[in-house]
Amino acid sequence: MTDFPKLLQVLSEYRVEFIIIGGAAAIVHGSSRLTQDLDVVYHRSQENITRLANALQEQKPYLRGAPPGLPFQWSEATIRMGLNFTLQTNLGDLDLLGEVTGGGKYEDLLDHTFEIEVFGVHCLCLNLETLIHVKRAVGRPKDLEAISELEAIQEEQQDEE
Amino acid sequence: MNSLEPNPVIEVYKKDVDRTLLRENLKLSYEDRLKKLMQLQRFADELQKAGRHKQ
Repeated sequence: MTDFPKLLQVLSEYRVEFIIIGGAAAIVHGSSRLTQDLDVVYHRSQENITRLANALQEQKPYLRGAPPGLPFQWSEATIRMGLNFTLQTNLGDLDLLGEVTGGGKYEDLLDHTFEIEVFGVHCLCLNLETLIHVKRAVGRPKDLEAISELEAIQEEQQDEE
Repeated sequence: MNSLEPNPVIEVYKKDVDRTLLRENLKLSYEDRLKKLMQLQRFADELQKAGRHKQ
């Protein structure tokens, strides 16, 4: 099980710049669908890569689904050489994305976020319109049902206004 | 972001969305929505464990 409060608290404690996207963002918007991991887009600046490397060091990140024993080391160099990481950690599954299809990088998404406070942490979450846009752009058949729910939420909110 | 054209497959799925559930979720705070997800994860874990024991 993913410990959302602790993961968010760890990232916040180290002042990592990130945006919540994916299933957890859908939950924030009111989705009722089960998701198992936390997906975030992180800023690829040198400072933020350092913070991210330090923040997760104690959580023993490892490549999710990879066989045990690979020479994988969580470090600034690893983050710099990669872009998107699907990780398992002591606090649960965490997807770290340097860029997302249809949305771009952290700085491209910033104008499409809003601030939330959860578990004592202030963080950024992708807005509903952009979340739908990104999920549509990815174009995975398994997302179509999730998108239908997000669009229904959008309609519910428009009806209330 | 540009507005998107309706997708016929999504429109079909949308008819089966339980909107009463969504309306209940929308009454909750962001934090309570995430807490509800974690309860659901715990429940799913328990079901999976029970299923493994039975095999």
